[in-house]
Amino acid sequence: MISENDRLEKNSLRSYPKGVDHTLNIIITTIMLAFGSCAVVSAEKPVDFAKEILPLLSDKCFVCHGPDTRKKDLVRLDSFEGATRDLGGYKAIDLKALSDSEIIVRMNDSDDPMPPENAEKQLTDEERKLIERWVKQGGNYAKHWAFVPPKKTSLPSKGHPIDAFVQKQFSEGVDFAVTANNATIARRLALVLTGLPPEPSLLEDFLNDNRVNAYERFVEQLLADPRYGEHQARYWLDAVRYGDTHGLHLDNRRGIYPYRDWVVRALNNNLPIDRFIEWQLAGDLHSKPTTEQLIATGFVRMNPSTAEGGVIPAEFQAKNNFDRTETLGTVFLGMSMLCSRCHTHKYDPITQTEYYQLMAFFNSTSEGPLDGNKYEYAPVIKVPKDQVSWNDWLKLTVERDELLSDAASIFNNVKSSRSDTKKKWSQSDEVARLAMVVDEKKEWKNNALSIYKDAKDLSKRIDNAQKSFTSTMIAKELDKPRDTKLLDRGEYNLPVGDTLRPGVLKVMGGLPEGAPRNRLGLAKWLTSRDQPVVARVLVNRIWQRVFGEGLVRTPEDFGLQGEHPTHPELLDWLAVEFQDSGWDLKHMLRLMVSSQTFRQNSAHRGELNDPENKLFARGPSFRLDAEVLRDIALWASDLLDPHMGGEGVKPYQPTGLWKALSHPASNTKNYKPDTGRMVYRRSLYVYWKRTSPHPMMTLFDAPNRETSCVKRSRTNTPLQSLGLFNEKQRVEIARMFAERLLKERNSDEQRLDLMFNLLVCREPNDQERSACNRLLNAMRKRYVNADQDAKDLLNTGEVPRDKSLNPTEHAAWTQVAATVLASDLALMLF
Amino acid sequence: MNPLREADLMMTRRQLFGRAALGLGTAALADVFSPNLLGNTSSQVRGTDFAPKAKRVIYLFMSGGPSHHDLWDYKPKMREMFGKDLPEHVRDGQRITGMTSRQKTLPVCPSKYKFTKHENNDRGLWVSELLPYTAKVAKELAVVYSTFTEAINHDPAITYIQTGSQIPGRPSLGAWLSYGLGRLNENLPSYVVMHARSKFPEQSLFGRLWGTGFMPSEHQGVLLRSEGDPVLYLKNPSGVSGKDRRAQLDVLSALNNEQFKQFSDPEILARIKQHEMAYRMQTSVPELMDLSSESDATFELYGEEARKAGSFAACCLNARRLAERGVRNIQIFHRGWDAHGSLPREHESQCKDIDQGCYALIKDLKQRGMLDETLIVWGGEFGRTAYCQGGLTKENYGRDHHPRCFTTWMAGGGIKPGITYGQTDDYAYNIADADGNTIKPTKDNWTPGTMHIHDLNATILNQLGIDHRKLTYRYQGRDFRLTDVHGHVIKDLVT
Repeated sequence: MISENDRLEKNSLRSYPKGVDHTLNIIITTIMLAFGSCAVVSAEKPVDFAKEILPLLSDKCFVCHGPDTRKKDLVRLDSFEGATRDLGGYKAIDLKALSDSEIIVRMNDSDDPMPPENAEKQLTDEERKLIERWVKQGGNYAKHWAFVPPKKTSLPSKGHPIDAFVQKQFSEGVDFAVTANNATIARRLALVLTGLPPEPSLLEDFLNDNRVNAYERFVEQLLADPRYGEHQARYWLDAVRYGDTHGLHLDNRRGIYPYRDWVVRALNNNLPIDRFIEWQLAGDLHSKPTTEQLIATGFVRMNPSTAEGGVIPAEFQAKNNFDRTETLGTVFLGMSMLCSRCHTHKYDPITQTEYYQLMAFFNSTSEGPLDGNKYEYAPVIKVPKDQVSWNDWLKLTVERDELLSDAASIFNNVKSSRSDTKKKWSQSDEVARLAMVVDEKKEWKNNALSIYKDAKDLSKRIDNAQKSFTSTMIAKELDKPRDTKLLDRGEYNLPVGDTLRPGVLKVMGGLPEGAPRNRLGLAKWLTSRDQPVVARVLVNRIWQRVFGEGLVRTPEDFGLQGEHPTHPELLDWLAVEFQDSGWDLKHMLRLMVSSQTFRQNSAHRGELNDPENKLFARGPSFRLDAEVLRDIALWASDLLDPHMGGEGVKPYQPTGLWKALSHPASNTKNYKPDTGRMVYRRSLYVYWKRTSPHPMMTLFDAPNRETSCVKRSRTNTPLQSLGLFNEKQRVEIARMFAERLLKERNSDEQRLDLMFNLLVCREPNDQERSACNRLLNAMRKRYVNADQDAKDLLNTGEVPRDKSLNPTEHAAWTQVAATVLASDLALMLF
Repeated sequence: MNPLREADLMMTRRQLFGRAALGLGTAALADVFSPNLLGNTSSQVRGTDFAPKAKRVIYLFMSGGPSHHDLWDYKPKMREMFGKDLPEHVRDGQRITGMTSRQKTLPVCPSKYKFTKHENNDRGLWVSELLPYTAKVAKELAVVYSTFTEAINHDPAITYIQTGSQIPGRPSLGAWLSYGLGRLNENLPSYVVMHARSKFPEQSLFGRLWGTGFMPSEHQGVLLRSEGDPVLYLKNPSGVSGKDRRAQLDVLSALNNEQFKQFSDPEILARIKQHEMAYRMQTSVPELMDLSSESDATFELYGEEARKAGSFAACCLNARRLAERGVRNIQIFHRGWDAHGSLPREHESQCKDIDQGCYALIKDLKQRGMLDETLIVWGGEFGRTAYCQGGLTKENYGRDHHPRCFTTWMAGGGIKPGITYGQTDDYAYNIADADGNTIKPTKDNWTPGTMHIHDLNATILNQLGIDHRKLTYRYQGRDFRLTDVHGHVIKDLVT
């Protein structure tokens, strides 16, 4: 007869999954069906290891008993094998006598407790009980949720998939909030998709559209608006830490803004996000990279850089690569790689070796480790300087391709053509071919004079266009890769061990078959179906833009220490949908904004006790980002300049801000504000000096772009109030807004209606109207006998005031406009 | 009171209280118009771990790396070695920056300045003739000869000492303090940064030095400027008076309350409070900057320079005025200490900039009974080399960056007055033990008699009632600390 113990033994052996590398510090899935019957000693709710226990072990135990444990005889709690290993008479989890497991014994040992008395993190009584329950239930392990590739579970109910998953988590009696009114939704939608309120004509069309699919049509119109790409690009630029300066020491200018413009263009064209990623990581490694693919590799070059006198190149070769590796971690993998730079990660199953293997992908780019304080920190390429030039350039290239094809057919049809010309033609690129048509005119002249003339003309126009080109930093691979070794404690001068091959994190699946071991392979890995994290991380950030908070509230951390998703099945469903759709960003946004979840009224619901809206049982509401605040105001006052792309613009800024901190040799020590229309461009284009970004941006929580930021804080400070009311451009905007109201409408009532319609897509209610009128009348009284004050106010900013307007009226309306623009009506998405 | 405002306020109150039934706590409501409200709306303030010795800190940061050789660390034996190559065993593998690594020799460069020994409460304090005023408060200073760092270039070194990491991205010391301590004064920012003028503003400063890294940006330092508005955008536009602004804010509150009625979002109330605080700052900051109430004795103490906005002395006087008004976290950055060549010319000017201000600040706080509760810290991001960079003469020389030892001092705020701590070898090149033997401390394990920059930061936090090991902020799954996994409170410095 087989004893109970034998049976357990056998089953426990059998329970190891096949194909798992036991030498890895990974947490394996261990299914121990056999224990189900004996382990559940009571009818207690089964403990969810991944959700309840793993974060606890990670936070409080792994610091000594985790992946980083160096002592061989120490208990390891990061894997089932580790926990059940016999350590000379005791086991952390004793499968034969669960209650005697060392975990339970030591947790409750008052003489020699675990965690030790002097440990920084102690367990609460509840946590002890929870761990005890888990051990007694069999001590099952499961893989951390984020490391298991997402799968679509079947929809819990009919209707919109998002609503079905959200509704599933409502407790009984709870339902969605009522749908917000159409005007509110229109504003919310336009702000989410384009970063601006809807144009009045568009809004009116939508509100009067009684046909089916009116909403969908409205969504499509917004998605097709070029301002969509400008707005969505901002989030990406935060994540990749885009800046117009090198960032360190002198913090000089750098040539990189065509990358920013490419991001806008790519998003407007809805470039599939897998290719969006691939071009950025490895556009240069394509066999015949296009200009756009090369510009995109600016991503690789985005790390802050230095040329400080006396720095050691090898040190910055390492530091630049640390930065890239860790940014890759935050942007795509939703985790800091920082810990593993110096030692195997304490919480997440990432070894120090893996960190350096990942880093090896970046270690063979050809730029020098120091930027030389140069604008053209090589390698760079020359490209059109803004969106207009880009469009012109595209037309020229199309024209060129057509001409060359004509030229080729003429030339192929002519028997007299010389064979060496034919050979040369076949070996030449477009540029050389065009030159051939011009230079070797004989071949074409006799046959088609016009072709030769056209080519000459085109070639001249191409030359002219290229004269206005600017440069942008790109990535280029060295012919012979640099050696990468593990650096002890992350010190550049302490390499140890053998040269490492570039490699990816094992816990997130291997390199796809056939993928090269270079940045191209890295990109293929990131976007492969087996990669468990990337699609989730990206989709979570898309959700965060739309709803104000992510499904995972720690978008920067999907690791063991991060927060669990509020709606795990929804997150997974969306991640797979994202992949299934061909990484279609517009599709995902369409999906999200078409849900009832998005269209709910956003008033807080006291009865739900859900201040953070973790249920998503109300619509989003939050203070808008710095750029949006400025853009809304520029737009409402009709000042917004729609010009797309180009060198960063410099709106007004208090004098001396840059000088107070810049090195005397820096070429960004003097802030010279731009003049003319440039001052009124969208905030996306505001010049980003990393050591001192524009104060109206940083006051409202814009990051400095020295490091990756995937979630901005949303703070409220008195300095924001001062900026809203007193900053020169805000004052100019207020008076231009007033000017617009005075010119476009004829009564106070209509003017207030227009103001509110522009900012909140509705007319003011009685209280709002009376408050504004009170201020208006008080200000009329105030300025009627203070002409000079009125004029002083109206002369703020560069745009001249319309002198035909009565200064008292104009000043009074300016004050009202300034106030409404500073109110939450213009500050919030709701 | 302006009747218009009164009417508006009444209305606002009624509206607000009318909403109380909607579930907003009465405490929160009362807070909105309470004169003693805390300006800080977030719950992101952590509080102290134990009774603090100091209520506030004033950090006098000498950016660029002052020469410990020429100010504090008296090494008469170096005179005998004038111009001779620094013995190899002294340098012992120390990294040399790219600026002197190609130099053929590393000639020993004794200080040209005269040092005098001043009585303190310990073994006495040698101070160079460049700091005659500071020397007079020798009995208040705890001078640390054995501060050290690993970074040898400015950007990493200054980022390291101010944020605990050589690579950008972490919250600054000031942000940590703001997060740890919160605010006392609702009319002024809790964390104020000043940039003092220098004739040699040679090195850069960076927003990150008073920035918040991954912490919410409300903890960032507020620049108190000497040019334009003292606080950015403080002044109303031309043609707009305080009374006008009051009327605007009252209407703004009414509009926001309408918004609150509709959405019950507590953030709306938080913003109303911030607008009110901004309004108060428009009075309190000009009052702060107005030195007309200061007595002649004050300017005798701080010197006439203190009348010139932006001078180091004026910044020190501002620091005292800020301290009096309950601001807890004050930093003055003074640039120009990076003396690679012409050190005498530059350092003489630099010392003249700061000397009387440092002295006056200590004296002034002391006479007002505030020194005990105010921690003053003085220092730079590293020291300077014992050898000369460029041409060496008796009269002129330069020094390169030196991380292995440099001098900082602290005073007040529960720091032992009139002591020295640690020592260096005969070349002020290496830290030495009490017997003069070279020691090579690391950040990993504290060695008695030494102070790594993490130890300095741990000690600063300690004086303010914060355990540096417990002041953590979670980001990307890691509980970050200012002192990383290092830092040791220097008990020998603490009363």
